[in-house]
Amino acid sequence: MSVAVSEPIAAIPRPALGRLGAATLLLLPIALVNVVGFILPVLNLLRMSFNEALSGGGIRETFTLANWFGLAGDAFYLELIINSVVVSLTITVLTLILSYPIALYLHRSSGRWRTFLTVLVISPLLTSAVVRTYGWIALLADQGPIVQAITSFGFAPPRLMFNTTGVVIGLVEILMPYMILSLLAGFGRLDPRVEEAAMTLGARPVRVFWRVVLPLTLPGIALGCLLCFVLAVSSFITPKLLGGGRVFLLATEIYDQAIVTLNWPLSATLSILVLVIFGAALAVYARILRAID
Amino acid sequence: MTKMRTLLGVSAIAFTVSSPAWAETVTLAAYSGIFQDHYVKAVVEPFMKAHPDIKVEFYGMPNSAQMLGTLRAQKSAPQIDVVIMDVSVAKAGTDEGLFDKVDESVSPNVADLYPAAKAQGVNGVAVTFDNLVLLYNKDQVKTAPTSWNVLWDKQYAGKVAIPAVPDIQGTTLTIIANKMAGGDDYKKSVDAGIGKLGELAPNVQTWDPKPDVYAPIANGQAALGIGWNARAQVYADSSGGKLGVVLPQEGSGFQINTINLVKSAPNSKAAKTFIDYALKPETQAAFTEEMFYAPTNSKAKISQAALARTAAGSMDKMIDIDWIAVASVRDKITEQWRRRVIPLSR
Repeated sequence: MSVAVSEPIAAIPRPALGRLGAATLLLLPIALVNVVGFILPVLNLLRMSFNEALSGGGIRETFTLANWFGLAGDAFYLELIINSVVVSLTITVLTLILSYPIALYLHRSSGRWRTFLTVLVISPLLTSAVVRTYGWIALLADQGPIVQAITSFGFAPPRLMFNTTGVVIGLVEILMPYMILSLLAGFGRLDPRVEEAAMTLGARPVRVFWRVVLPLTLPGIALGCLLCFVLAVSSFITPKLLGGGRVFLLATEIYDQAIVTLNWPLSATLSILVLVIFGAALAVYARILRAID
Repeated sequence: MTKMRTLLGVSAIAFTVSSPAWAETVTLAAYSGIFQDHYVKAVVEPFMKAHPDIKVEFYGMPNSAQMLGTLRAQKSAPQIDVVIMDVSVAKAGTDEGLFDKVDESVSPNVADLYPAAKAQGVNGVAVTFDNLVLLYNKDQVKTAPTSWNVLWDKQYAGKVAIPAVPDIQGTTLTIIANKMAGGDDYKKSVDAGIGKLGELAPNVQTWDPKPDVYAPIANGQAALGIGWNARAQVYADSSGGKLGVVLPQEGSGFQINTINLVKSAPNSKAAKTFIDYALKPETQAAFTEEMFYAPTNSKAKISQAALARTAAGSMDKMIDIDWIAVASVRDKITEQWRRRVIPLSR
């Protein structure tokens, strides 16, 4: 941590008494919203995960660990969890690779051009993910333009949707705006003067990128990856539409168990599991941030 | 989940409050989409004409599970009076004490219903019968198929759309395939059927057709598939002759929708009047003519033209599916599909 110019923080005189009270008072509204809107429902989910599911969708209020042991002992769910994490990580890495150059270019542009480009990057968010996913179905279909272009070069027609490939393609495009915005937010420390300094000292562009630009943009990368990973694990409509029932992920399984099979206790258990994965992702993020500093 | 429940609850309250002041309002929860369009036209509107003092609010929901979820959330203060849902979900609702019994004291028409309309352990009674059919795209499949076996035809590799389990269309196909493969009682084992479906898997394009199975076949994205007769007949008419519907020679299985009276419903008396009307032979006939669900009232008089488009003429070929028994083996069937059917299509 050396590049940012730190300014001495002026001591602001505060009344000693009531400082804690004022802080509590100001935090109270958001704390209340969080308790009602997040903590209570999650506790409710946790409680539900200890209920017993009866055949045909009934629920018996009880206290059993059967759902949790059932999950741990079933190879299908283990595979489901691993598959979810691997697919989400793949999506995150691909999104990063595709978004980074765009974000870097945006960061370096200026004036009206920059505003225009930023609007362009954000504009996909104005359309819902469902509509964009249907767009991808039209593009990736067997008779769609992409498959036709590939076959016109003499290759065998590839299967681009109703499998993991389709899910990855769809989600990468849908998550790119989030990644680009997070990268831009984290690029604050990247000062063009530092790059110029490196070049005047004789570093070639590739070396400047690896030794100066990349390390300085790591906070943005970490933030973008965290956001994309969390959104990828929890996204459900795109895998549902592009997965063709072949791609088993945590989010689609929670939907199936809650809405189709009516096994609310199991879907609650899986939901808590997703929260645990998010917790792990946050812990990794915090660790990376500390390592960067 | 709680958020969704609250949301559903709030929207249900909002729309009950906003309805105009009638003597009584019956809130009917049933399937949204084309079911709603046709049911309102053939049943709800004529009912309101016959009973000017009762208003029926149709509260459309995409599936039975969502209806059950809403009823659970409203258990202490129900906003819905009558609900039409799949029989196995109605069983779960009955078990949880959400429904009152519909018997001859509620509607004398209950006496005239087919025996299959009264499922053991379900408080409601059947209001529609539907059955699984074979769907095909008339441009891609030139001669109308007569057997489920066409789904296995290698000629249509990558062109078959099958709604997989846990969707009950997949469950019904499992039971049919089990019979075709020479398996005996599906309640004991569907091993033979699972093996046969494993051979079908490489042909399958999608196990989760969206928005439903009818659209991709009508527009040619898929060539063959399976679906429910009533909806398929309606879409066959609206697809400009692209969607073909066949009840194959091996027979099929029924899907049953039940009509249920919600316990401590706000307008129980008017709700009973509506249920009685829904089960009348004339109403049953009108809805069959409108949407090709087979009637559950044995006294319903239906035109030959409409009857020919239901399974009513092929009753001898139908497999008697005990959905209450299937509910208890459903998890096992799902597990088998995930291990031995779907992986073979990757």
